[in-house]
Amino acid sequence: MNILESARVAIRAIWSNKMRSVLTMLGIIIGISSVITVFTLGKGGRTAIGQEFESFGVARVFLGMNWSENPQSGDIMNHADIDALERTFSDEIFAISPRYTTSGEISMNRKNENVYVSGVNEQYNKIERNEIIKGRYLIESDINAAREVALIDSSMAMELFGRLDVLGERITVRTRNRNISLLVVGVFEEKKGLVSNLGIDDPPRYVYIPISAAERIFGIGDQIYGIDMNLQPDVDVQSVLDRMKSMVERRHRNSGEEKYRGYSAESEMETVGRITGIISAVVSSIAAISLVVGGIGVMNIMLVSVTERTREIGIRKAIGARRRDILLQFLVEAVIISGMGGIIGTAFGIGISFAISAFIKIPPGISISTIMIAWLFSAGVGIFFGIYPANKAAKLDPIEALRYE
Amino acid sequence: MIRIQDLSKVYSMGDIEVNALIDINLRIGKGEFVSVMGPSGSGKSTLMNILGCLDKPTRGKFFLDGEDVSGLDDDALAGIRNKKIGFVFQSFNLLPRMTALHNVELPMIYSGIRREKRIKMAMKALEKVNLSDRIYHQPNELSGGQRQRVAIARTLVNNPSIILADEPTGNLDTKSGEEIMEIFKLLNEEGVTILLVTHEKNIAEYSKRIVTFRDGRIIKDCLKEPLADEEGGLAE
Repeated sequence: MNILESARVAIRAIWSNKMRSVLTMLGIIIGISSVITVFTLGKGGRTAIGQEFESFGVARVFLGMNWSENPQSGDIMNHADIDALERTFSDEIFAISPRYTTSGEISMNRKNENVYVSGVNEQYNKIERNEIIKGRYLIESDINAAREVALIDSSMAMELFGRLDVLGERITVRTRNRNISLLVVGVFEEKKGLVSNLGIDDPPRYVYIPISAAERIFGIGDQIYGIDMNLQPDVDVQSVLDRMKSMVERRHRNSGEEKYRGYSAESEMETVGRITGIISAVVSSIAAISLVVGGIGVMNIMLVSVTERTREIGIRKAIGARRRDILLQFLVEAVIISGMGGIIGTAFGIGISFAISAFIKIPPGISISTIMIAWLFSAGVGIFFGIYPANKAAKLDPIEALRYE
Repeated sequence: MIRIQDLSKVYSMGDIEVNALIDINLRIGKGEFVSVMGPSGSGKSTLMNILGCLDKPTRGKFFLDGEDVSGLDDDALAGIRNKKIGFVFQSFNLLPRMTALHNVELPMIYSGIRREKRIKMAMKALEKVNLSDRIYHQPNELSGGQRQRVAIARTLVNNPSIILADEPTGNLDTKSGEEIMEIFKLLNEEGVTILLVTHEKNIAEYSKRIVTFRDGRIIKDCLKEPLADEEGGLAE
């Protein structure tokens, strides 16, 4: 008897026990659909995080003070360091800006909202890319003259003034127990990223002002706590960052004291990738357990089926079925049950992932390989859990089986 | 074509050994129609199981068409059952939820005959037992006599060396029983070898030779009428 005949016999048997077959498949359906959902959302999530970093800039680096090493005033970076970096790494640096950020409050709709006031230079928009929808970005003369001007985001403009075109208006930010008044020269589009989509947290809101104005307002003088940079796309980010760090160390004669620390988006991205990898591995192993449970369900039903059909097996053997014919018949039945469960589960899984991804706005990352793996796995479950009952059937003694009532 | 030499079958049930068959010698020639009679426990069923290659003898030899089958393995025996033996059981033993046609097709599935040919041959066999109008009926839609006719058609399709019928009329009313026996008689006249187990005298009357068993031994082996076939021998 060939596979085709076995399949025909198996389908007939499955069909004559529709309800039971469907219930048996349910275990596999749930298992496969959860595997598909986890993989699809996991892949989509990784893609979304990747895009987040992309918008952030993969070649983006930050060099800042390492406050845990108690840097002294002689260790603090200054504008001369920036000039030196710019000169030495002119081929590697695409944009460089000092950044000084402090938190403050702004009155909106009669309630206070937290904002960050960031002092940056005119190059900063080539690092943290914001789309200017009204007015302009900071320009060199703003920096040179330390003008008290500001860029705010679109939602802040809407909340404060009820319109986007707010150039020339003044905003008052309360920070460090004093009010500072800033002239709005530009409005940028509010960023919508993964974090805000998930609704986990309100995204931090930034007000950008010239670094020179920040230094004067907050009285920090020629001290730079952090430098944001965007490197050229083809450079080895980590080695450039290391060289920059050691150059600053040499300039302050504190080599080896770890007074500065560097971050790169690249290494952050790797960390995030590792974490999401671990999460999806954990969740998929839970899903795999449900597949195993489903497989045990298949085995259980196949054992019942073998017992129920003992007489049928006896008849088949009496008219010439060999051991392997019987083995194949029941094995094919198990594989068809779990294979059909796999197909239905795949369809469900895709449906569920689309529904969830529409809800949390992550693009679903469906791949053929995921579907293939899930489906092969379910067929494998069928073989693994079908072999024992099928072998039991094949080993039955025909005389005993024929006598079975 | 069937030759049994000093054949014994011993069953061990725990510590007790049961001698189901003791030193049986029997020859059945081609075209014979033999009835095996005897009270229950006399060894009839054991003989049937061994002749049908469902069971193996403890001692002795069993030649089928000149081939010693007593030492063959399970799969080889399955092949012999498929090609040379046709079973007819008291309880019909058709597969439920399958049409008469499919039931008759079944042996040919295991001998690897193509589907179109299978259907054609199954139709022919069903025609032979006068069931052409019932081919798409399932066993539960058929009367006992009709079911047994399906079972007979199932034995015919692989053109077996011998049909082994174990109380084929045991579950049937007299009229259906007679119909079944008429079919056997007809088949035998066409040259099919038949071995029939029964304990009903009037059923055994249909055969040409009656072998009687008691306590695992043949106690009587007599011809009802002279055999035309020289090859068919008597028990030694």
